[in-house]
Amino acid sequence: MTVTIALPSKGRMKDEASAIFERAGMKIAAVGSDRSYRGRVEGWDDVEIAYLSASEIAREIGSGAVDFGVTGEDLVREGLADADARVDFAARLGFGHADVVVAVPEIWYDVDTMADLGDVAADFRARHGRRLAIATKYWRLTQHFFSGSHGIQLYRIVESLGATEGAPASGSADIIVDITSTGSTLKANHLKILSDGVILRSEACLVRARKPTHEGNPVIDRIVAAVRAVL
Amino acid sequence: MPLINLPAFAGDLLADFERRNTLRVDTPVIQPAEPFLDMAGEDLRRRIFMTESETGESLCLRPEFTIPVCLRHIETATGTPQRYAYLGEVFRQRREGSSEFYQAGIEDLGDPDTAAADARVVGDAMYVLANRLPGERLKVTLGDQSVFEAVIAACGLPGGWQKRLIHAFGDQEQLERLLAALADPKSPGVFGHDVERVAALGMLEDEERLVDHIGETMKATGYSTNASRSPRDIARRLKEKVELAATRLDKEALGVMRAFLALDLPLADAPAALHRFAGKARLKIDDALALFDARVAALARVGADPGLMRYRAAFGRPLDYYTGLVFEIGVEGTPAVLAGGGRFDRLLTLLGAREHIPAVGFSLWLDRIEQAIAAGRAE
Repeated sequence: MTVTIALPSKGRMKDEASAIFERAGMKIAAVGSDRSYRGRVEGWDDVEIAYLSASEIAREIGSGAVDFGVTGEDLVREGLADADARVDFAARLGFGHADVVVAVPEIWYDVDTMADLGDVAADFRARHGRRLAIATKYWRLTQHFFSGSHGIQLYRIVESLGATEGAPASGSADIIVDITSTGSTLKANHLKILSDGVILRSEACLVRARKPTHEGNPVIDRIVAAVRAVL
Repeated sequence: MPLINLPAFAGDLLADFERRNTLRVDTPVIQPAEPFLDMAGEDLRRRIFMTESETGESLCLRPEFTIPVCLRHIETATGTPQRYAYLGEVFRQRREGSSEFYQAGIEDLGDPDTAAADARVVGDAMYVLANRLPGERLKVTLGDQSVFEAVIAACGLPGGWQKRLIHAFGDQEQLERLLAALADPKSPGVFGHDVERVAALGMLEDEERLVDHIGETMKATGYSTNASRSPRDIARRLKEKVELAATRLDKEALGVMRAFLALDLPLADAPAALHRFAGKARLKIDDALALFDARVAALARVGADPGLMRYRAAFGRPLDYYTGLVFEIGVEGTPAVLAGGGRFDRLLTLLGAREHIPAVGFSLWLDRIEQAIAAGRAE
């Protein structure tokens, strides 16, 4: 059986992932030209590399179309229902750090915790004639965190695929759930992270699809062990 | 067109509804999704079947009937009082059972006599279920949001805490968490640096100055002061939060609340027990109890068998449009809920009705009723 590892097709994620595999004794070579979307691993004939976009990787691991993938934990948890049952976060790779956070306008002096936000959300409709609006691209993580962990039901999600931090100032949403690494963009937009508002501390991970064919397959264990050994 | 998957008793059920003076209505299976998400919250999104129209409008397969029936009532500008009945398929992802199933029910709109309308609707539900399940002993559980609200108001909690508790009513875990936090606050509330700064400037005591300060800061940072929460909203809740943080519930008041939430007894004994409870705890909740007593009396008048009914003080639904009575009905000795209902006096205004329209209703799970009938036959 050939084991397929999906890697990000471009950018820093691609370079850093390749570097880790190289340190782990799995030097990746492109098949054909440098721009090819296929790769192989020198000395590992039963392993192939597929270059995909980061968000596609989460989906392909979820469906089991690839055996491993390197991608952000946030994309996996957002893209897959019941992620822990379907995939195994085999190794945390120490790059691509980013937190998914709940951020509100700094000027909301009265809101510093999720409990505060719950109070505001409960009253919002009566005061403003609409529900509290959250701009985000993280539908699943937001719902899980608000309803599951904090008992907050009364809000609406406004889908935002870019420049989410600008939504509260422009009035298209009241608060945001977004990814941040240094917090500087939030600060520039006069937003603050709630004290208990970190939904997920994400980083790039080696993620394995939980497939029955992996049971007792020595190649699977060797890949995980090789990567873990160099972290 | 007769549908072949319709429960065998559907015709008899509709005939029962007609005998109970209702107007049968139907609503389109494909509905705008907005009102459902708006009323029930985003969590519903995972459980309904959504799609989009060509123009980008969010649509869904009808997940229930109450909202469509109420919207239809508002759109057709039908006068009240009006009693509607429905029977049709609804679509929802459930943990168990098929995600398309039949529901039927009654919505009783616009009767200003709350106790009489409550009793009538409970009576309707018991009547149609008893007709489907002769020989089975029904069990009816009643709860009352307004009694709960009166109890916590009478306990003297600040407004913010009352709102939190009311909001959690029916969600046992959340309510327990809140009571525990009230009894033993882990932290005196989290306040940011900005709050320390405005407190140091003496603005917490001076609402006008605080409002001005917040308004100016918003303008300076490019935030519109009217698109979302206004400076006054923020200033007022900050004051409320300072109060919340300072609140401790003494042992006695906590004991009163726990004693109330533990009440679970035959409905016939409930009025006396509630009066005894209020007297002992020295709570002034006369108005809520008067309505409760009137409802118990009205239930006797519609001929609902009091021996089948229990009152459970902690029973409620954590949806903000439920306002008073909630109830559910099953067969004694089995866990399945065959009918669920309650009073939702706030729903029609939320959906856009110009005037206040009191409303109470119930819906029946026809697939579970079929199973209960089959189980009864098998015995």
